[in-house]
Amino acid sequence: MSKKNASVWTSIRFWRRSAAWVTGTATVLLIWLTFNTMGQISMGSDADLANGVKKRIPAPTVINYHIDYVMDQKRGHEVPVIGQKEPFFGKQWSAEEAAALLHHGKLTSQAKNCMNCHTLLGNGAYYAPDLTKAWLDPRWEDGTMAAITGKNSKEEAMAEFLMHPSQYPTHARMMPNLNITQDEAVALVAFLKHMSSIDTNGFPRNFSQNAKRLEGGTNAH
Amino acid sequence: MLTNAHLKYESQKLGMNYFRVAIVLFGAQLLLGLVAAIQFMYPGFLFEVLDFSVARMVHINALVVWMLYAMIGSVYYMIPDETGEEVVGAGLGKLAFWVLTAAVTVVVLVYIFIQIGSGTEATIWLINEGREYIEAPRWADIGIVVVVLIFYWNVFATFMKGKRTGIMTVMVADLFALAGLYLAGMFFTDNISMDQYWWWWVIHLWVEATWEVFVGALAAYGLIKILGAKREIVEMWLWIEVLMLFGSGILGLGHHYFWIGTPEYWWEIGALFSALEPVPLVAMFVHVLYDWGKEQGHMEANAAEGEKAHAVNNTPAMAWIATNAFGNFLGAGIWGFFHTLPQVNIYTHGTQFTAAHGHLAFFGAYATILIGMMYLGVQGASGIKKMTMTFKTKMALFLIIFGLLGMTVALTIAGYEQVLVERADLGGGWDAYFTAQNLPWMVQAMGWRLAMGVVTFLGFVYLLWDLLTIGKAQAKEA
Amino acid sequence: MEPIISMPVIAPNEFLGIFAVSTMVLVLGVGYAALVTLSKMGYLSRKWIPVSYIFWILQAYSLYDLSVRIHSSPFTFKVLMIAMLAYLFAPHVYFYLVEQAEKRYSQAEEHR
Repeated sequence: MSKKNASVWTSIRFWRRSAAWVTGTATVLLIWLTFNTMGQISMGSDADLANGVKKRIPAPTVINYHIDYVMDQKRGHEVPVIGQKEPFFGKQWSAEEAAALLHHGKLTSQAKNCMNCHTLLGNGAYYAPDLTKAWLDPRWEDGTMAAITGKNSKEEAMAEFLMHPSQYPTHARMMPNLNITQDEAVALVAFLKHMSSIDTNGFPRNFSQNAKRLEGGTNAH
Repeated sequence: MLTNAHLKYESQKLGMNYFRVAIVLFGAQLLLGLVAAIQFMYPGFLFEVLDFSVARMVHINALVVWMLYAMIGSVYYMIPDETGEEVVGAGLGKLAFWVLTAAVTVVVLVYIFIQIGSGTEATIWLINEGREYIEAPRWADIGIVVVVLIFYWNVFATFMKGKRTGIMTVMVADLFALAGLYLAGMFFTDNISMDQYWWWWVIHLWVEATWEVFVGALAAYGLIKILGAKREIVEMWLWIEVLMLFGSGILGLGHHYFWIGTPEYWWEIGALFSALEPVPLVAMFVHVLYDWGKEQGHMEANAAEGEKAHAVNNTPAMAWIATNAFGNFLGAGIWGFFHTLPQVNIYTHGTQFTAAHGHLAFFGAYATILIGMMYLGVQGASGIKKMTMTFKTKMALFLIIFGLLGMTVALTIAGYEQVLVERADLGGGWDAYFTAQNLPWMVQAMGWRLAMGVVTFLGFVYLLWDLLTIGKAQAKEA
Repeated sequence: MEPIISMPVIAPNEFLGIFAVSTMVLVLGVGYAALVTLSKMGYLSRKWIPVSYIFWILQAYSLYDLSVRIHSSPFTFKVLMIAMLAYLFAPHVYFYLVEQAEKRYSQAEEHR
């Protein structure tokens, strides 16, 4: 062994060192990218919203604004657009109130285990519809659910449905009653509205055309 | 499976304890999976008693926990063989085992009987955290960290005391990363994007990086133990695998950051590195082919002398480890590559495609080799020189593989239909979702998935039966 | 920063082709690696080496086809083709490594 010049390619030491270097480099790159991403996905402020500064994840007070999802030609996919102010449960929410509401909503979404039936931002289980843009779903937007639940606004209809889901069945597969209180329901709706304002790089695709396409029915059988 | 009669080391006896709990949890995983599969067909089944969310939560948590148990068991089992030493803190290790098992029992009972709480911090601390795969409530998180610290200290101190083989070096470094990553999933934030960003650090960097390397180290140990492969060659390849797996897997994390609010540059990073993820799997495949061919050559050469020098000394374990090489490539490789490019993933993200990939990849990459390790454990515990497959071993192998492939194909068809109808055609949303769910393609696919799930469960029954009886039967023969 | 990846709209009837072709990329890739390894080891005749290159060519074509089907930008397309060229050598490199390691370390055994 010692006489011959062994090839470096069969040297355990060489591969051990290479493995360490590659792993180290990948880790450092990941950490660096994480710092960059953290900056881009931290929540914006109320002032950003008032001044029309676009943030990937807007402040909780985004619940005070109208949210739309429209095609952006330059980016080649749909993006959320934050529009004029609109009341949410009949009022404007201060920065503190909105933050507290979102906090309660996010906590409730975890406490009620939403993610093990639904997907949020596309992650979770596949037993129930994706909730990423649920706030913008034509079901709520066009007033059908408001009529069924006997409420005047989209947010009130959503809250009513969340509190008594099996009273308003839409399919054989129903949402179970999760003992959601009035406060929790309001907070959950705020959480959903906030989530719909997140810039998800165009996911779910074609969502803004959902209503139009449903009218045509599907070609699949 | 129930005897430790022939084990000299406390460490290996402890390893067997972990295997025993693992197989029970494996059974629980399959049962709750069946409940969830039935609910897809008949939504009224156990409605508001044991809802889909609960069944599914226990299904995936039992999966993660049984695998962690089998992984810890494997490490305790290999420590004496690799280091030549008894584990330093056997008593402490035993205590940690019972504490962990008690905690897991309590967590599962709370999942099943209390299920959910009100929207307060107390729920997150006591009942469940509501984050897929790592639902364990915070008190259990902290308990897990303590138990894992004890385990890690045991591994590390024994490693420092005894022989420091390449396999154990990889193991010690990998376990450190594996345990450390769990901490990334232990905080609460109102920002759902931030939440999922760190959540993927745990999930992805476990299953597509540290667990894969763990499996590489286990396979290396298995090859030496079962085939008598040369340590130097096996360890050289292990380092190459570490290089390729971490080189592609760590930044492959990018493919989970396409649509959760994170910036666009993750498209390129995710696409590039996840396209590289099959490369180490091909390397393993070539390696297995080569070894298999070489062994065949040895056998033929020696057969002339009327003796088998290099014969496999544990065919059930070998069969499961061989299934691992293919399963890993099929489940993680092909089913992963299917939908990893962002152009395709925007349509497949959050559909049954992911479920298809998840089933085959978890089985192919992890369940197979961990079952192989259990057979190694049974062999050692019963003091069998040469363990061979029984009828039950073969039935278990066949039924489980067939069932898993069947479920995967069914879920792939369901996912394909969902992509076409719900996503590409109708553009997502509530009604689009249910339109897709109610079409015959989806309904029939779900029926087949349930049927194949039953087949898998039958295979599990054979597996359990075999693990319980094979030791005694073959020890008697010898 | 302009993203390099463009996000095409994919029509429902295009998906089957995309999934089939991406499966072919990996299946042919493994087939190529397997044929090279087995024929170099002598388990298959040397005649299979050209067949393995046919596998590689088909694989490269499948990847090309995939990149067309998902409307890749010219840059992505170049990256993919360079990756295909690199893959041409991969099984040879793997084989060289196993073989050399075998030589080196089985000698080590004899010295012991």
